Amino acid sequence: MENLNEVLQLFLSVDNFIAIALGVVIGVTVGSIPGLTATMAVALALPFTFSMQPVAAILLLVGIYKGGMYGGSITAILIRTPGSPASACTLLDGYPMAQQGHAKKALKTALFSSVIADFISNIALIFFAAYLAKIALNFGAPEFFWLICFSLTIIISLASGSMVKGLLAALMGILLSLVGLDSVFGSQRLTFGNYNLMDSISFIPLLIGLFAIPEIIEFYRKKVVPHIKAKASGAGMTLAELKRSLKSIVRGSLIGVIIGAIPGTGATAAAFISYSDARRRSPNKANFGKGEVEGVAAAEAGNNGVAGATLIPLLSLGIPGDVITAIILGAFMVHGLTPGPIMFQENLSLIYALFLGIMFSSLILLVVGNAAIKYFSLIADIPKSILFPIVLMFCVYGAYAVNNATFDIWLMLAFGVVGYLFNRTGIPAAPFLIGFILGPMFEDNLRRSLLISNGDLSVFVRGPITWFFIAITFGSIAFAVFRFFRDRHAKANPLGNESPS
Amino acid sequence: MKKLISATCIAACGSALLVSASITTANAADWPTKDVRLVVPYAPGGTTDVLSRRVADLLKDALDTNVIVENRPGAGSTVGTGRLARGGRDADHTLLMASPGHTIGAAIYPDLAYDPVEDFVFIQNVIDIPNVMVVPASSPYNSVVEFIEAAQDQNMAFSHSGVGSSIHMSGELFKTLTGSDMTAVPFAGSGAALPALLGGDVDVSFENMPTVYSHIKSGDLRALAVTSAERSPYLPDVPTLSEIGEYNLDQFVTTAWFGLIAHNSFPEEGFEAMQNALDEVMEREEFLNFAEQLGAQPGQVEGEEFKQFVIEDLARWQAVAEQAGISQ
Amino acid sequence: MIFAFTAFLACPRGEAVMSFSDDRAVKRIKDTLDFTTGIVLLVVSLVLALYLVPNYIGEPPILQNPMMSPRWLPNIVSWLMLAFSVLLILQGLLVTNKSENDERKFIKGSLRRFVIMVMALLVYVLFFETLGAILTGILATVLLFLAHPVRTWWVYGFAVAFPVAVTLLFVNVMNVPLPLMPY
Repeated sequence: MENLNEVLQLFLSVDNFIAIALGVVIGVTVGSIPGLTATMAVALALPFTFSMQPVAAILLLVGIYKGGMYGGSITAILIRTPGSPASACTLLDGYPMAQQGHAKKALKTALFSSVIADFISNIALIFFAAYLAKIALNFGAPEFFWLICFSLTIIISLASGSMVKGLLAALMGILLSLVGLDSVFGSQRLTFGNYNLMDSISFIPLLIGLFAIPEIIEFYRKKVVPHIKAKASGAGMTLAELKRSLKSIVRGSLIGVIIGAIPGTGATAAAFISYSDARRRSPNKANFGKGEVEGVAAAEAGNNGVAGATLIPLLSLGIPGDVITAIILGAFMVHGLTPGPIMFQENLSLIYALFLGIMFSSLILLVVGNAAIKYFSLIADIPKSILFPIVLMFCVYGAYAVNNATFDIWLMLAFGVVGYLFNRTGIPAAPFLIGFILGPMFEDNLRRSLLISNGDLSVFVRGPITWFFIAITFGSIAFAVFRFFRDRHAKANPLGNESPS
Repeated sequence: MKKLISATCIAACGSALLVSASITTANAADWPTKDVRLVVPYAPGGTTDVLSRRVADLLKDALDTNVIVENRPGAGSTVGTGRLARGGRDADHTLLMASPGHTIGAAIYPDLAYDPVEDFVFIQNVIDIPNVMVVPASSPYNSVVEFIEAAQDQNMAFSHSGVGSSIHMSGELFKTLTGSDMTAVPFAGSGAALPALLGGDVDVSFENMPTVYSHIKSGDLRALAVTSAERSPYLPDVPTLSEIGEYNLDQFVTTAWFGLIAHNSFPEEGFEAMQNALDEVMEREEFLNFAEQLGAQPGQVEGEEFKQFVIEDLARWQAVAEQAGISQ
Repeated sequence: MIFAFTAFLACPRGEAVMSFSDDRAVKRIKDTLDFTTGIVLLVVSLVLALYLVPNYIGEPPILQNPMMSPRWLPNIVSWLMLAFSVLLILQGLLVTNKSENDERKFIKGSLRRFVIMVMALLVYVLFFETLGAILTGILATVLLFLAHPVRTWWVYGFAVAFPVAVTLLFVNVMNVPLPLMPY
């Protein structure tokens, strides 16, 4: 009882509420600006938390993190520019929806599924942290290697249209991801002596270039089409649609939770895994990539499911899973707190106060998101001849701000041209992105496993986690092959069962 | 069109005014005469970044001017450092937070366009974070000597946070000095390396103190030694590597040091103003608390001594990089 | 996975045989765009596999395991790319593209507009550091407004207001430095 009092005392302060609300607002705003990611927002807000109370300080940063995760989807949907990497997947269906005049529906879908996923993720953090942390600790390089192999199989389901083109795109992505210094020997790989390339190709200019720039180039290359004013707000998400997508949202959230609990995978991968899983199961498979509500829902659930869960290894083990949690760890330390098992013994009330705040942040996200949608959906009404020059300006500023380098503007434009050519030749960009994200993880974990085991290959089958991932990797390949033959069979006999041979 | 041009001019003048307005006025000293930039040659969120933002925040009061942190990451720290070395219009108000990346980077990156010593003035070493030699709690080794003896005929894996990190180089240095058989296992940052260490996938690591301190306290990791010259007040029972006295380990004294440097055209009055400001900052309670949280100690050397320290550090890492075959 | 591809290859072959017997005068290349893309990628992967990977990726002298080599994955990826671009060429030769065509093609607009856009992009990359974010932003935005003519005069105010406001927002509110002004 005494404890409860203490928790409430720590939590029920005006500062905390202001911190959460402010954090979410900052997160949504900054997250929606291309180039300025949630990571950057958290890093930039850090100095302001030095003088705050510890609970308020952490909640501010967590609020920014969560807001940023959602905010990225706004511009992804409206102008095909992922505000942060994790929302690249949202754009696959979100932007087509906006093009068809359903901008508001897409935004609402993204918001609701973000909030639900966020909530599920928080529940996981509060009640299952101990179990999930154990999984995280048992996740060594070989386990990771198979997880990545499994994730690579999603390329098969993302390669809409032509499988050959999808795989070519993925291979190009992997190849470009390998540019930079070799992670084991430090030797140069395809850097051509350029120092800007030695830390590998920066992700954000690539992302903006690949998606936003081609849209702009195309607009100025195409014949003028008069601007048709779509009905501004459009309809929101209907209850039926929410019900239909709910399974995907929950599944996506759980995928996000597991990926988030394992340090080092990241929200982008979670979004894509959730998306491809939803697509595999959906009856409307053909509509994915062309403006499917469920696609937006699954992608957003995947990336927001990660947010709460990344705090699991941080709080229970003191292990930051990504850059954002590393900064939050820094904030804990500035306030004289060291996350990890000891904090659960010494500062339990503080942890519970944090949990309350984190739960509360989901609610705030819903409110702030709703307000944001109201104004942001107006963007869909601006004629493109006015909108695109301003989008381009944001893209350039954002690309520059990542590393403070003009080189990144060049990079962004180069990828813009690549993306344009991709569109022209029908090569899908999503597998390229997956290849780029997973390529280095694949290679690093393969080599890491070999280093740990001294070259003994049996390390790859060393325990139940590896067996599980091997099984689902091969299962998903087998399933894809099976489906391929079935579809072909169906095509060959268009009359179906009526003409048995 | 005319309207447009005049509007452009107005906007340009307006922003120029804004810029000049932010230049601090009314300062008795000749330096600083405008905003001070603190370049962090790493991405936002890393140790160097967090530390720099803390210091910048305190410097703001001490210098009575705005201190803007600017991240210029890339190729270890060499992209940001290289830009500073080129000088330019703000070089007289630009500082850079140098770290072991400054010397290690110079040792492992080919054909740097700058000289890591001669192109800079060395203002002050701000903070020193010791590295700790840690083994998992389940490890059979209870002392450094036991470990080295086992490592003579058995391959040991050590984790590190990336090629050229102080953690990696410390491991390589240990390997060369003691003649142990060790394999470097790279991870993407200390956070990713920790589970492998806690789970026993790797045998040892030379991690930064703040990363492993709480795990040492909770008993999940065992500290065998610290790499600094003297024992750390945070781990008083843990010997230093140089104390061991065997296997050439008396030469093993390294820390993850952080210090402010500037372009060598940095004005003399700026140098003095910075030293005074830093003396003030380093006595502030906030700074000392922060250092304590990192398990770190305020830096000891400044000016010429600091430069000497960097020269020695550079020579050591060049030797290690050559021996380990890291420099390509 | 290889299964899927042989199957893939098998599929067009079936169709191809049919069409060849139907009408020999039919154009040999079914999808010129796929064919050319395949050729370009084939050349790229050949350059990669035979020239760039061996010459621009350093390899340490001693390796315990071939998989440890920095060249291992780039090599595999280049050769796989080679294989798939051959498949793409075959696909271009043999399969008529049905659904995708309409999405890929559009009616081109005037060249002038395109050239102005390229100029605007060049303004950004070439002058960003020398002229500063605000001036390049204004210049490029005005160019783009003129390219796809915006005829409402007051909209041009945005071309000035946005770069100024956004730059100041980045620099002063969010503490993200951008190059400001030419000095």
